[in-house]
Amino acid sequence: MRRIEENPFSWLLPVAILLGVFYLYPIFDVLRLAFTNASLRGGEEHYTVDSFVALIANPALPDILWTTFVFTAGSVIGQQFFGLGIAVLVMRGERRRLYGMTALRTIVLIAWVIPGIANGLIWQMLFSEAPFGAINSVLRMMSIQPVAWLSDPGIAMISAIVSNVWRGTAFSMIVFYAALKGIDPTLYEAASVDGANGWQRFRFITLPQMRAAILVNSILITIATLNTFDAIISLTGGGPGRATEVLSLYTFNTVFRNLDLAGGSVLSVLMLVISLVLAVGYASFLPRREANE
Amino acid sequence: MTSESREKLWDLATYLIAIIIAAFFLVPLLWLLSLALRTRQEVFLGASRFIPKRPTLGNFEQILSDPAFINYLWNGLKLSALGGIGCLIVAAPAAYAFSRFHFQSRSSLMMSILAFQMVSPLVILVPLYRYMASLGLLDGHFGVTMIYIAVSLPMAVWLLKSSIDGIPKSLEEAAQIDGCSRFGIFWRITLPLVAPGLASAFILIMILNWSQFLVPFLLLTTDSKLPISVAIFTFAGTSSASSTQVLAAACLVAVVPAIVAFLLLQRMIVGALTAGAVKG
Repeated sequence: MRRIEENPFSWLLPVAILLGVFYLYPIFDVLRLAFTNASLRGGEEHYTVDSFVALIANPALPDILWTTFVFTAGSVIGQQFFGLGIAVLVMRGERRRLYGMTALRTIVLIAWVIPGIANGLIWQMLFSEAPFGAINSVLRMMSIQPVAWLSDPGIAMISAIVSNVWRGTAFSMIVFYAALKGIDPTLYEAASVDGANGWQRFRFITLPQMRAAILVNSILITIATLNTFDAIISLTGGGPGRATEVLSLYTFNTVFRNLDLAGGSVLSVLMLVISLVLAVGYASFLPRREANE
Repeated sequence: MTSESREKLWDLATYLIAIIIAAFFLVPLLWLLSLALRTRQEVFLGASRFIPKRPTLGNFEQILSDPAFINYLWNGLKLSALGGIGCLIVAAPAAYAFSRFHFQSRSSLMMSILAFQMVSPLVILVPLYRYMASLGLLDGHFGVTMIYIAVSLPMAVWLLKSSIDGIPKSLEEAAQIDGCSRFGIFWRITLPLVAPGLASAFILIMILNWSQFLVPFLLLTTDSKLPISVAIFTFAGTSSASSTQVLAAACLVAVVPAIVAFLLLQRMIVGALTAGAVKG
């Protein structure tokens, strides 16, 4: 008994089993299925590389990848920029003991707890071109031509990014807020003594000190955006046409609408590879943390 | 200009920007509320009736008197809570081991647990759908709960680890000298002390489970088993422009529990999140 208790791995066993059954094994199975002709309809399965060949030959793929890239890049840049800006603003407000800073932080965080599906539906009501669409009816009141927020392919992407930034900024803000709190205040005092102005303090103290937080946050939100599915399916459903059909939505449609399990598995493998490359890429920029542990 | 008056000017700018940001984040929710309080006629008046002239609670009445809708809410609550409890039961021992044992490959194991969080649920659902079909677990809450547990495990382990790290070791050592077993220490000393951390992790996981869409959407087919997140999506698909006010009310009802849970326990949740963020 003693021995089991003192072995850390026996404490890790439940987690290992659960992650093994629900993550590791399925991942291996996706890799295997990618080399079959499996269909959700059933039928005989045999091993083949046809699904890979079909994917490479698929004329829609470059468009899907480009859409995914634009959506992800726009969301990540927007969320980082907004998140950092709000975190700096809240920190300044708190330092000056201004009222309402906690309220501001709370308001931003509320958007984060809203379910993705509801997020899509809420923004659909804002962007809608019907009379109840908030943005267009304000434009109409100001006698400005309404905009086809969700039915113009170019604008639909911007709308999708805006809604995603609205919901996702909170996470970046809280990461940056925590990182800002962790900066040693004597650094700023020393800089003030040296006569550095606000911008210089931000440029030469805040940004370098936030390097790790910015990188970690980049990995997390890039991958979260890449996996975004519910907010897009309820906002645009991937349309108009295929203008907002990102990789996760395309994978979903391949498996569960076209019942092409093998093709969907190939796309899943592609998603895994992209996430892996991103994670490894970002991680290689991270400073070694072991040194100070 | 003195530096104090310059600071005052900056304070003004801070407020100004803060108001713009608050508006950007609040207006979508206020618009939702505005639509939900309208009659069908007023919906078509758009922004000119931001505050409806004849506000009505009829839409909420319609939603909340529908037994099917109450059932969706209940399913959402049940799945979120069971998923949260299950997740903590599995994660707590692991978090304890990561915090209190020193063993080789500890940090690489922690990193690999985190790596699972980067895998889209969509990827694992493709094969899981087939296993569950062959095991007869499709369209049941048990299978869905198990996947909820697995999906939130990585975050739970990390959150609980940083909570346990915050507890002084001396109390545990005292118990050890008194002859308490490892598991006894974990059960009778560490867990009670880490109760606030467990609570905030539980609430956070419940909020995230509440917004789960993909897992129940794919694995559940019977209407009476669906949680609210899937139900409002299905409802949106069947509703038309003339029922927008009802959809808005339904959205609001789906969103409010998560917001309330967050507001009540915001200090705890933000604390857990920032602790995780600083160390992660």
